[in-house]
Amino acid sequence: MFGILGSTKRSPKGLDDKSVASGGQAEDGAIRLRNVNIHYGSNHAVKDVSMDIQNKKVTAFIGPSGCGKSTLLRALNRMNDEIDGCRTEGEIILRGTNVLGKRIDPVALRTKVGMVFQKPNPFPKSIYDNVAYGPKIHGMRKRRSLDERVELSLKRAALWDEVKDRLHESAMGLSGGQQQRLCIARALAVEPEIILMDEPCSALDPIATSKIEDLIFELKKNYTVIIVTHNMQQAARVSDYAGFMYLGELIEFGPTKQIFENPKNKLTENYITGRFG
Amino acid sequence: MPERLDVDLEKLMTDVDAMARLARGMLVDSVKALKELDAGLANDVMSRKKALYDLDDIIEDLALKMLTLYSPMASDLRKIATVFKMITYLNRIGRYGYDIAKITTHLIGQPHVKRLIHIPLMAEKVDCMIEEVITAFRTRDLTSIKDLAKRDSEVDQMRYAIFRECLTYMMEDPKTITRCTDYIMVARYLERCGDHACKIGEKVHYMVTGERIELN
Repeated sequence: MFGILGSTKRSPKGLDDKSVASGGQAEDGAIRLRNVNIHYGSNHAVKDVSMDIQNKKVTAFIGPSGCGKSTLLRALNRMNDEIDGCRTEGEIILRGTNVLGKRIDPVALRTKVGMVFQKPNPFPKSIYDNVAYGPKIHGMRKRRSLDERVELSLKRAALWDEVKDRLHESAMGLSGGQQQRLCIARALAVEPEIILMDEPCSALDPIATSKIEDLIFELKKNYTVIIVTHNMQQAARVSDYAGFMYLGELIEFGPTKQIFENPKNKLTENYITGRFG
Repeated sequence: MPERLDVDLEKLMTDVDAMARLARGMLVDSVKALKELDAGLANDVMSRKKALYDLDDIIEDLALKMLTLYSPMASDLRKIATVFKMITYLNRIGRYGYDIAKITTHLIGQPHVKRLIHIPLMAEKVDCMIEEVITAFRTRDLTSIKDLAKRDSEVDQMRYAIFRECLTYMMEDPKTITRCTDYIMVARYLERCGDHACKIGEKVHYMVTGERIELN
């Protein structure tokens, strides 16, 4: 149960809203990774990854299981902090600030870098309360403001029309696809700049998947989206940039068209054509 | 899945080879029929049209099936995309063979204006271009298609030479106009076949390298 909420603790020396993002346009490179290394104990899971993730574009990480793509994704909003023995080195620069810095408050960071997981994980509360939860714990109290935020978030997650007449019913009664869009709405409710998606459609049927993909396409107008997926066609459909990872290394990173039509690296070619190993 | 994909890719290559052989055969035989004013051969060429169209449909169906079943990527995708274009060009080449054979049937019963030399020579050059792009498609070796543009220019020049020659015959003797107009049409068809060979060459280059080039 993390999402943007993660831990409810807040560091006294936490990253305030100004230092992470204070609204407005992010720089061209929304996130800059420099020599990022991640270890789980003695296992070197991500090896010296450097890349620039573009603002308001969809970036997909692809690669075989265990290649480090989810680990790298989770590093972007410090979700790996919750894992014992996980150590991250290097720099992940967001708006000029290294989010791996000791003074950074992961909870504040996660309001700006939201996350959606493989399986929908709504709270066992009403649809309204699921979306309003984040703004509430960040101090939003006025009913009217909360109503507006809930409506806007549900609209942006393309769910409003389906739930507007049953906002106070349990979120657990929604379909899997609706629950996943609710989780996206919940992430959007705290106004992030970046949305991380870790295989967001792997538990969904093709129709729900299609809706999420359409939503991702819409979301990139306002947000930077980074997605991990095992579905090659999905990566090709939704992303603007794609990175292929193998054994913890970023083997190739570039425009999606190039990666899927004419990859430069033989490993990438073998992986995406299914001739791997 | 790659094994099944590879099996289907091999089938696709074999079918394209067969279609190329058929289209080339139609073109070469039609010019032979024209040269020798052989009605039997001309009719035989015309009778192959259905097989050409059938192969076009069979290959297209297989390529569509492969897109649906395997969602191919990278070099596999480029190969299938190339096949989609190639079969259109091969179909056109075969169709020009059909058209030349049809012209031949109209010419039966009257002698040629003079012995045909340039048209068969032009057909030979064009057929050689087609053969080499098909070989490049099969082997992924682009060496033989490097001078394709130059050879296409030579074919273009031959077409204009035939046109000028026919013009002189028509001016000398208006009775030759119908036959000479047919020769000009045949030269035009052969020149177009050279263009199609170049287009296939461009697609094969894209299939192999992922880079697009222009050959004519």
